[in-house]
Amino acid sequence: MTETAAIGVAPRARFDFSRLLGLTLIGVLAAMFLFLSWWTTTFMTPGNISNLARQGAIFAILALGETFVIITAGIDLSVGAVASFITVVVAMLLQSAAPPAVAFLVGIGVPEAAASLVGIWGAVIASLVVGMGIGAFHAFGVVKMDLPPFIITLATFTALKGVGLLMTNGSTINVTNDTFTGFSRGEVFGIPNLFMVVIVVAVPAYVYLHLSRHGRYLFSVGSNPEAARLSGVNVKAVIATAYILSALCASIVGVLLASRTGTGNATQAIGAELEAIASSVIGGASLFGAVGTVWGPLLGAFILATIRNGANLMNVNSFYQFIITGVLIIAIVYFDGLRRRRR
Amino acid sequence: MTVIAERSPAAEAAFEGPILELRRLEKRYTGTHALKPADLAFEAGEIHAIVGENGAGKSTLIKLLTGVTPRTAGEILWKGLPTALSTPNEAIALGINAVHQEVVLCPHLTVAANIFLGDERTSRGLLRDRAMTREAQAILDDLGFGLPAGVLLSTLTIGQQQLVATARAASRGVQFLIFDEPTAYLTRQEAAQLFALIRRLKAQGVTVVYISHRMEEIFELADRVSVLRDGALVGTRRVSETSDAELIGLMINRSIEQIYHKESFAFGAPILETRHLSGRGFQDVSLSVREGEIVGLYGLIGAGRSEFVMGVYGREPPTGGEALWQGRPVRVRAERDAIALGMALAPESRRDQGLCLNLGVGLNLNLPVFERLTRGITISRTAERKAADKQIRDLRIKTASRNAQALSLSGGNQQKIVIGKWLNHGAKLFIFDEPTVGVDVGTKAEIYRLFGALLAQGAGILLISSYLPEVYELADQLHVFRAGRQVAQHGFKAVSHEQILTEAMGV
Repeated sequence: MTETAAIGVAPRARFDFSRLLGLTLIGVLAAMFLFLSWWTTTFMTPGNISNLARQGAIFAILALGETFVIITAGIDLSVGAVASFITVVVAMLLQSAAPPAVAFLVGIGVPEAAASLVGIWGAVIASLVVGMGIGAFHAFGVVKMDLPPFIITLATFTALKGVGLLMTNGSTINVTNDTFTGFSRGEVFGIPNLFMVVIVVAVPAYVYLHLSRHGRYLFSVGSNPEAARLSGVNVKAVIATAYILSALCASIVGVLLASRTGTGNATQAIGAELEAIASSVIGGASLFGAVGTVWGPLLGAFILATIRNGANLMNVNSFYQFIITGVLIIAIVYFDGLRRRRR
Repeated sequence: MTVIAERSPAAEAAFEGPILELRRLEKRYTGTHALKPADLAFEAGEIHAIVGENGAGKSTLIKLLTGVTPRTAGEILWKGLPTALSTPNEAIALGINAVHQEVVLCPHLTVAANIFLGDERTSRGLLRDRAMTREAQAILDDLGFGLPAGVLLSTLTIGQQQLVATARAASRGVQFLIFDEPTAYLTRQEAAQLFALIRRLKAQGVTVVYISHRMEEIFELADRVSVLRDGALVGTRRVSETSDAELIGLMINRSIEQIYHKESFAFGAPILETRHLSGRGFQDVSLSVREGEIVGLYGLIGAGRSEFVMGVYGREPPTGGEALWQGRPVRVRAERDAIALGMALAPESRRDQGLCLNLGVGLNLNLPVFERLTRGITISRTAERKAADKQIRDLRIKTASRNAQALSLSGGNQQKIVIGKWLNHGAKLFIFDEPTVGVDVGTKAEIYRLFGALLAQGAGILLISSYLPEVYELADQLHVFRAGRQVAQHGFKAVSHEQILTEAMGV
């Protein structure tokens, strides 16, 4: 009798707390927007909002990739270094490899506009492939060499900085390709291109994590790799995928950053890995694994970007911004934990 | 709040009544009545067994007595005086302690450090390691455990760790000690040592509450036994005046013959055959499992049975000999290969190997079959829901919903998930490693009936158990393991319990 009663309540339990959490994060974001538009005259202006969307976009993509790794109960400390390194790679390709290739294509009769696009896309795709190679190396370290994720990604974090500095001789490479740098300033239907990229990345990420079986495997591996393994899940492949996806997201960020700053610089995104981890955790991911969503880190990243943007507009000393951000991370994650325990 | 009355130590020592008395003690969680109002008095120096199916309220009672959860209503009297008993520290201060089934100690510390954890011997703020090791060794020797105090806890077997946990509790002036299924992971020798210790504690006037699923232990050890069913205390008996049939009747309203439910089928073609298979932890194992047959593997813990099936299943690929699947030689290099052939494994440890505890019941049930639930690149939510609900319904898994975390279920229901996840898969060979450890009688009977259903579909079963009656009553063929080797092989009930035990222990 009790059994049938228990099954009878099943539909009601479909309401899952992660939706509530999402609503609350949106609530935090909305409250900030309301407050800032009331307190300042400069916040709710088209220029500032699209600026905010651009700032947030970079960290959102980084945090999204980081979340895949965090769900497996791992950590990727290298994403800032990978993004920086990729700015160097893409800048070098655009400056030295693309022009001769474009000239060659024009020489064999390809229209110049098309040739130039091929040059840019060639450089971008090659950079993303390099980035995925770095991710594959992380996967190798974690899966085959049995190194703790913290260690292997810390090692590449340091080493990549060195490789990038060697490649640039410690200086900065300026990207002179205006089509490439123009991308980050452009917009579609009034929406900044950088924000569009977030959507282009988030949609397949959502399908992967929440709709496909691979997402379920990711959670199962994060929860109990031994149980997943004995149930037939290819645990090593699942973990490897997470690190490759994280590095791919970091590489996309590297390309966008090179476009936005117009430079390749081996240290320009160092430190962003902590921002990415913070965004992911604010977005509800658990560093113990098996908990996380796609939109959580996106919201987390935009919350942090709004804090920074708002503080700038309110002329808060940037030193205080760091303190405010730290306090807010504790507060948001604490209240989130409270709510989940009460559930 | 209960006001705690003070009484002089002299008056306390002279107190003659029950050491601990429950009056209308009650516990409600939102939605469930975990313990219905219970009256029970524990006499000083008695061994009081508590039995009941999983979810009957035993864990709730332990939590109330050890101050882990607050009660909803009722009174607890300690030596005649009402006590709040609202924190674990309060329970420990009174002299109430518990030894849990799963050892909750620090594996990376030494045995001595664990015994003194939280109560370290220091001198000027520094630890006196050698003194503690000496003292701990004295305690262990005095208890007759023959365990070294200086080694890391993790180097001991789970059974030995359990003994350390007991020694830890016994060394702290305990007056009321609760054992929660202490023998689930113990070998017979270790269990015998534990029983000797329990009798000693009783002789010293300690009250022991003993929770177990094993009837024979209760009759060997206890003075009185109380039965819980569905959160209600349904009776207390003197052990000398009751029988296991009566107790089981109280627990489940079902007779004992119905528990070991053996159906016999005509055997078909061999599904799995191993020839001189060797690997890590097992050597030279040759056996075969046919359609419609249960092959039992009996031995003490660590005899190599689990290692053997893990080898067959590809967890630790075998290093020698060969395995044949339906007559053809196969090399199983990974679990995925085994599953693709048609093997299914319900592993020994639910928590460590069987379940993703913090994920949903539905996800756990569907984990092996997501491939089949996928349409195109995404999972069909409807198929996913239906598959999970079917198992929850068919196996009568008690859960709030398919999305409830697996850890929120009782042990028996968790075990049903571990087994149930393979029923959608349609495997040919089912490997059950200790399928009924920590599982109540009712769920046990359900699991055994499920075996019959699987055999009827033409599947074969490899059944590992350290509980002899289980393999004895169910297995068509019984292989006895000792120290990684197959030492004997018997037909259905061909020899006596005593002979099998002798073979397993090698005496």
